Amino acid sequence: MKYKLIYLALLLAPTAAYARPVSYPGGVTVMTQHNDEVTSSHIHYSPTAKYSIGHRYENHREANFQLHAAQLNYLVNRWNKPTSQANVYFKTGLGGAYNDRGKGTDAVGFVGIAADWETRKYFLSYENRYLNAGKIGDNFEQHARIGIAPYVAEYGSIHTWLMLEAHYNKTAEDPFRLTPLVRLFKGPALVEAGISTSGSALFNFIYRF
Amino acid sequence: MKYIFTLLLSLVLATNAYATPPQMTAGSYNPQGTLIEIEAHGLVCDFCARAIEKVFLKRAEVSGIAVNLSDHRIVISLKNGQNLDDALLEKLINDAGYTLARISRKEED
Repeated sequence: MKYKLIYLALLLAPTAAYARPVSYPGGVTVMTQHNDEVTSSHIHYSPTAKYSIGHRYENHREANFQLHAAQLNYLVNRWNKPTSQANVYFKTGLGGAYNDRGKGTDAVGFVGIAADWETRKYFLSYENRYLNAGKIGDNFEQHARIGIAPYVAEYGSIHTWLMLEAHYNKTAEDPFRLTPLVRLFKGPALVEAGISTSGSALFNFIYRF
Repeated sequence: MKYIFTLLLSLVLATNAYATPPQMTAGSYNPQGTLIEIEAHGLVCDFCARAIEKVFLKRAEVSGIAVNLSDHRIVISLKNGQNLDDALLEKLINDAGYTLARISRKEED
């Protein structure tokens, strides 16, 4: 059962302002996310620390469609300071979507901007994305996060973050959602779990190879 | 006498500077090789530390590396007779996505 859950988490999971989408040169990252609206996965490879390319899968349960897309993540700018780092990313993707309630298949495309600022103690992020799947529909969603680490851990130890995520998607059943969550981070692995104010469970997982 | 005292003090400080072998976070420490200490900006999480480790351990010159997030310090242990010049160090740090602030070196016996 444990392995089935891990396998499910790796296969599934959407866009969210929860981690940098570009790794070190040659790095491969698996990102998954699950909440009541969407389950998604994104696997990407970074040829350089400026951009990554990969595959995205999303299952929109509320909107009844699934998509597969090739995604590009581009680091527009990074500000490295002695005790902080800030980033702005551009993300875009192109692929196909399938609706199982009679709308059939169509091309899908999306664009978005993500920004974050992080120290070892504080975290802020914002991300948006416009998605258009032709006759299947379109949406514009936004995520913002604030986080604090109750203690500062050394590299290789377990890092704990307490975060609050705000999510807005006007086409969703529950357009505005606040989700308090806990992030646990150790070495190459990051796990997040939370429950939104409307009772929706959130589970995210990232592994950087 | 003053010069002898200064010389002795310098020797003691130099000997103690790396009296305890630095603990590597990846790879292994080579006591016969050069130690390079780098201060870099932007190191805020374990993903940053791993990025630095991965980039430097790809280099044939590198024996081990230690990343310390608290003081933004990277210690690189080189293999015998190997070297990485300052320009290459800066390029490797930039390629990993970070900014080099300072470099210092300690030649081992």
